[in-house]
Amino acid sequence: MTGRSEPILRLTGISKTYPGVKALQNVDFVVRAGEVHALTGENGSGKSTLAKVMSGMIQPDAGQIFVDGREQTISSPAAAIALGIVIISQELTLAPPLTVAENIFLGRLPRNRFGLVDWPQLERDAEAALDRLGVHVSPRARVSDLSVELRQEIEIARALSSNARVLILDEATSSLSEAATARLLNLVRKERDAGMAVVMITHRMPEIYSAASVATVLRDGQFVATVALSETDEQKLVRLMVGREIQDFYGKRSIAAGETIIEIDKLATPQGILSPTTVSVRRGEILGVAGLVGSGKAEFGLALGGAISATGTVRVAGRQVELGDPRKSIRAGIGFVPDDRKASALLLVRSILENFSLAWLDRIGSRGGMLNLRGEQADVDAAIRTYRVATGSSSPAISTLSGGNQQKVILGRTFVRRPDVLVLSEPTRGIDVGAKSEIYRMLQDAAEAGAAVIVISSELPELLGIADRIAVFFEGSLEKIFDRASADEEAIAHVAVAGANRHHENSPHIGASA
Amino acid sequence: MTAPSIAKTDSHGRYAGAPSLLGRVLQNRYTGALVSLLLVAAFLALTQPVFLTWPNLMNIVKSNTVVFVLALGATYVVIAGGIDLSVASATAASAMIFGLLLAAGLATPVAVAAAVLFGAFLGAINGFLISYLKISFFVVTLGALSMFQSFALIINDGVSVSVFSAPGFAPVNAFVNGNVGPVPVILIFNIVLLLVAGGVLRYTTFGRSLYAIGANMEAARLNGIDVKRVMFFVFVIAGLAAGLGSVVQVGRLTSASAEIDPTLLMTVLAAVLIGGTAFTGGEGGVFGTMIGVLFLGVIQNGLTLSGVSSFWQGMVSGGILIFAVWLGGMRQLLRRRRQSTGS
Repeated sequence: MTGRSEPILRLTGISKTYPGVKALQNVDFVVRAGEVHALTGENGSGKSTLAKVMSGMIQPDAGQIFVDGREQTISSPAAAIALGIVIISQELTLAPPLTVAENIFLGRLPRNRFGLVDWPQLERDAEAALDRLGVHVSPRARVSDLSVELRQEIEIARALSSNARVLILDEATSSLSEAATARLLNLVRKERDAGMAVVMITHRMPEIYSAASVATVLRDGQFVATVALSETDEQKLVRLMVGREIQDFYGKRSIAAGETIIEIDKLATPQGILSPTTVSVRRGEILGVAGLVGSGKAEFGLALGGAISATGTVRVAGRQVELGDPRKSIRAGIGFVPDDRKASALLLVRSILENFSLAWLDRIGSRGGMLNLRGEQADVDAAIRTYRVATGSSSPAISTLSGGNQQKVILGRTFVRRPDVLVLSEPTRGIDVGAKSEIYRMLQDAAEAGAAVIVISSELPELLGIADRIAVFFEGSLEKIFDRASADEEAIAHVAVAGANRHHENSPHIGASA
Repeated sequence: MTAPSIAKTDSHGRYAGAPSLLGRVLQNRYTGALVSLLLVAAFLALTQPVFLTWPNLMNIVKSNTVVFVLALGATYVVIAGGIDLSVASATAASAMIFGLLLAAGLATPVAVAAAVLFGAFLGAINGFLISYLKISFFVVTLGALSMFQSFALIINDGVSVSVFSAPGFAPVNAFVNGNVGPVPVILIFNIVLLLVAGGVLRYTTFGRSLYAIGANMEAARLNGIDVKRVMFFVFVIAGLAAGLGSVVQVGRLTSASAEIDPTLLMTVLAAVLIGGTAFTGGEGGVFGTMIGVLFLGVIQNGLTLSGVSSFWQGMVSGGILIFAVWLGGMRQLLRRRRQSTGS
């Protein structure tokens, strides 16, 4: 059912055990030239561990690896690259102070006959590598000046210019906007047609179906199946991943909206990324916020959370919120969850308990600043149950939890305070299907309990699945608000990419755009 | 992800900050330092008969009290993710204030309060510049290192102040050299200080905030911790420790000197590091710092007892510092490797 061509890379019986965890058990995996192979499964299924085995970052405890039919030991990333296996992961590995060209040819800069760097040659080679991808950036530009998306493309240019034959993309799209993802997927198809074998590690269904022809599913470190995607629909693939049917993924309930609880009037950031934005949200309502990277949607959330300074007025339950200070936003009843878990939400080296109670210090502390440790423990134990965090105890470091469970802690500590308004930026980024569904349930529970929920997301299907209205940002301004009934993916994407057409009928929901 | 099954689970579901003493010793990051301390102590006990005598042990405590007091303050700063390079200079500056006031005939409590408050004031200068003017703590405390030292020299033209015959010196002497039965007052002082410093870390919102800020400053800020205020007070505490340390120092030397022991700052930071408080912030505690201070103190005592030239002490303690931190790093690497399973 897979392609006819000879496998470039064949792994058989791969096992890897960490103390207490069987990360991989007897996994088989075959990659052929000219094929895009999706490697998928929930977080913790072992797909990234398998990628690390293929790219020489870790050594399997058992199993064999064949490259072009010959058995190989891939003892280091350098050995993998020598075999033509290149991995591009979420974490970028560029050197920001260097130029684009230097980064592409890092470690293999062309030399002239004096043994010095041949700069003109370097520039020509870099230009060629960038042209191949259709990336428009000067080889002399400094990487530190470039956007995350451009950096990722440069990373790919580097991979491709090294005579890669197997390209492994480990969640490479998770930090990209939809447009950049589309460009990346185009590129993947082009390379596939040129005979490259591509392994795409992702659990994003649209990407799997738009680029891959074959998918291998792992679950709990075990091989589940390799299937041809032409014969396997999304429902079936998800079932293979989670081992059960997810009945109603979003679980959208109809919740009667109550009074208007938050009124946002001409909210803007001084640096001008966010133009004055006006919108209101009612109790029980879920407002989705869509837009590309740089559209201002992220700043909209940050401004509401008090994380950045902002102008305009925000009223919660009629009372004006002082902007630019997280403490003031919290006291006003706004619960904000930022998009970057690692950078701005998690205390990675601290316990699950301390991560929970980070948001409750004022509640568990007495007037004299003494902590009520017993009460804290009881509160945390209750929250772990309420938000279904999969852990036996609250004492291990939060870094031992999966991304989905970490996110449940972050959302839970905010939800437990029952803020009137929840502002959640990318609440399901990088977490697996099962945990996503549970988080959608959490959001609706909060809405049902009377909160106004603002969900900022780069994933349109998710917004369409849970939001009552979807506000679309473009170049810093709120261009258009779609009602659930009238919203469809294409129309929203069009506004996000090109802005609302001003000649069309102006919906009464349209926010002011300066 | 890592399956919850590998997580170290306390059967009572208690959090890591409060398990039994044995559990804490076994899983803590300063276990390495503690074991090394016990090994070195055992070696010295076997080879140097004098080592395990009460007077010698108390001598170790006395001669390391200044380091200990400063290291407690430094531990707070390092947990919060910062560093204070100015503590030794602040100690010299406070010592000069203390010495001059004692020599001028001021009552002991007044002079002590003035010295401690002056240290706190110096810390407040650091804290203000770092928290509210947003200058890097490294730059500020490096600058303060020079300025406080300079201040100590300026204030009495570089001349030391003898306080031996000052009327207010007797109580200071009793504090530094006196005994309650067989127990030196200074030992009781150290223990009380350790309990207070440890208690604040574990049982107060302020202590919890320090760990949160050190672990992730932005997360702490977004969750309503007043990061500026906490950081300001952390440096005030470091200065307060310098003020307290200066009183002990003047008491031991019977004079106030603007000269700074050039190894003092290094010893303080080394003790914090050896005690398992990571310079990356968010981890550690004062119990580890105590072990770090004792470890360095015991080594120094052992070298002296063995008749090794004091010129060699820097070699040994510097080497031990690097070795201990390397060991800690290896341990962390192993732990991280165990955790980085799955995707």
